Amino acid sequence: MKKNKISENMVLASLIRGLKAVRQPALATLFGLVVGALVIVACGENPFAVYKEMFTKSFIQPFYLYSTLTRATPIIICAMATAMAWRAGYINIGVEGQMIAGSFAATVAAIYIPGPPILVAILAWLIGMCVGALYALLPAILNWKYQVTMVITTLMLNYVANYITSYFVTYPLKDPAGDGMALQTVAIDKAMCLPRLAPKSTFNAGFIVAVAVVLFMIFITKRTVFGYESKMGGFNPSFARYGGAKQVKVMLITMALSGAIASLGGMTEVFGLKYRFSDGMLTSPSYAWTGLMAALIADLNPLGMFFISIFLSGLQIGGSAIQRSMGVPLEISTIIQCCITLFVSVKLVFRFKKRKKDTEGENQIKVEGKEGSEA
Amino acid sequence: MSSAYFASILNSTLRSTTPILLAALGSAICARVGVFNIALEAQMLIGSFFSIVVNYFTGNVFLSVMAGMLSGAFIGLVVAVLQVKYKAADMVIGTSLNLLVNGATSFLLYIIFGLRGKLVDSRLVSLDKINLPVIKDIPFLGRVLENLTIIDYLAYAIAILLFIYLFKTVSGFRTLSVGISKEASESLGTKGTRVQMRMVILSGALCGLGGTVLSMGQVTMFTENMTSGRGFIAMAAASLGQNHPILTIVSSLFFGLCQGIGLALQNVIKSQLTMTLPYIATIIALVIFSRRNMKKANAMK
Repeated sequence: MKKNKISENMVLASLIRGLKAVRQPALATLFGLVVGALVIVACGENPFAVYKEMFTKSFIQPFYLYSTLTRATPIIICAMATAMAWRAGYINIGVEGQMIAGSFAATVAAIYIPGPPILVAILAWLIGMCVGALYALLPAILNWKYQVTMVITTLMLNYVANYITSYFVTYPLKDPAGDGMALQTVAIDKAMCLPRLAPKSTFNAGFIVAVAVVLFMIFITKRTVFGYESKMGGFNPSFARYGGAKQVKVMLITMALSGAIASLGGMTEVFGLKYRFSDGMLTSPSYAWTGLMAALIADLNPLGMFFISIFLSGLQIGGSAIQRSMGVPLEISTIIQCCITLFVSVKLVFRFKKRKKDTEGENQIKVEGKEGSEA
Repeated sequence: MSSAYFASILNSTLRSTTPILLAALGSAICARVGVFNIALEAQMLIGSFFSIVVNYFTGNVFLSVMAGMLSGAFIGLVVAVLQVKYKAADMVIGTSLNLLVNGATSFLLYIIFGLRGKLVDSRLVSLDKINLPVIKDIPFLGRVLENLTIIDYLAYAIAILLFIYLFKTVSGFRTLSVGISKEASESLGTKGTRVQMRMVILSGALCGLGGTVLSMGQVTMFTENMTSGRGFIAMAAASLGQNHPILTIVSSLFFGLCQGIGLALQNVIKSQLTMTLPYIATIIALVIFSRRNMKKANAMK
């Protein structure tokens, strides 16, 4: 009987916590849409009509909903990759580079390794994940051995990965049969492509990979010792440092996982949508940065990131639809997106401030306790 | 290698150094007062954009430069309020501002000009190119200093002025003391938060000026995300220069040289590969420097 009551209370508490977690992003989204409406009015259009069109052609009509989910696939995965590192306090802004490196390696493996397609595909995905992990490990190792800040190195490696793959698809690995202007590799074997999940749309099994990554993320963060240790490293480094050498191990694994997940984002795009690697295919839709935005808006909560990623992707799909039909520029989605991020970060300010105060209080208690024991 | 070729490399080194040096000085003064500012990229990019916008509508170089600096300072103000006054997490604010400015400039480019990707127009006026009267006739040096803009010279002057301010004036010492220990310095009557905010806004103006050089110096145009990581390279330059204005000149020149060499090698090696040079050099330089530092620390023990 008592037990039941406790569990009821727990359910209620977690419900309240859930609502509180949703409140901020929801308010921020509202704010973003209001600013967007003002801009639409400034463009001389009716904001209600534009929004109606925008959401019909992103979430409601099945064809557009499938496009939204297709575009959301790499965004969701990038958000998870970002969160994996950020929640542990490692500011990995190199998800873009890791996804480029991993998916490029996987594409090359899929094209040039001989053998039965299924085995080659599995091998290619494994190679891709390993390369993505290694590409994320490089800044982690430099940080561990030489204290080089990851903010700079991970960002620098984005440009390096982008230019080097650009070189390969422009010269040595360029598809000779293709149009001279198309900088891309030859297509991968049809048998290796991920199956389409809906007729007459690009929606493919990559989305299942994304869902699996979300579940994996929830499992890691909520159910494993590693998830706890990794979070503690970010939450309170000096506490985690009591573990000594273990913290290095946790950092390396965290970053490797982040890179491996990032590479999955690129691979779903190659194997599920484009069937080849082409120059700028991952950078120009800025999947990684949209994923980063989703991670910031959802405050690194896996389920939150999943829905926010789909929402942001819908904004982008709806944005291009209204540009075609109503003469409101596609960039309206960028502005809404940025306003949401800004509003959330302003909100975060107050929370971080509060948290800081809280920890200061805790420190004081600790000091007092220490004095008491000495006396 | 002929001396003319060498001179042209040095010339493009000097031109590439300016934006990095200005932003690196901005980063250095923030670090000196204990603020970790990663919105340098946003401060530069908005400077590049608004200098070109004002340039397009007024055709006045001075107003354009001012617009670049003011818009950079505005982002600096946002950083100062959120990060210094309200003590928000630097990473979150910096990253979202970088994203925001990147999106907002693309958006405004479309709203104002109806253009995507870049703005090139014959009406745009570039910064005046200066050819010093006597020096331009000296064979090698004349080529090295050919066609630099006034800001290319101004950047070094600013570095020296900052050095004098920080290390030779009372007010500068107070500023430095805030970075060493804000509480101790406040107990002596310095308004720590105000000093920090002032420095962050100044860093915004410096980065904005750097962005202006980028869009109105060698080329006169704006392209989406035209800073392409220079803000982060500048952070590296400042930390290599130990946040000291004069040493920062040296480290910025190193990164300028990498870009200069990259540009010069484009005829020999494919440009996609030479473009990676500044980024790889940044990482290597950070590693080598920290290694030397650690040896020093060990020797001290």
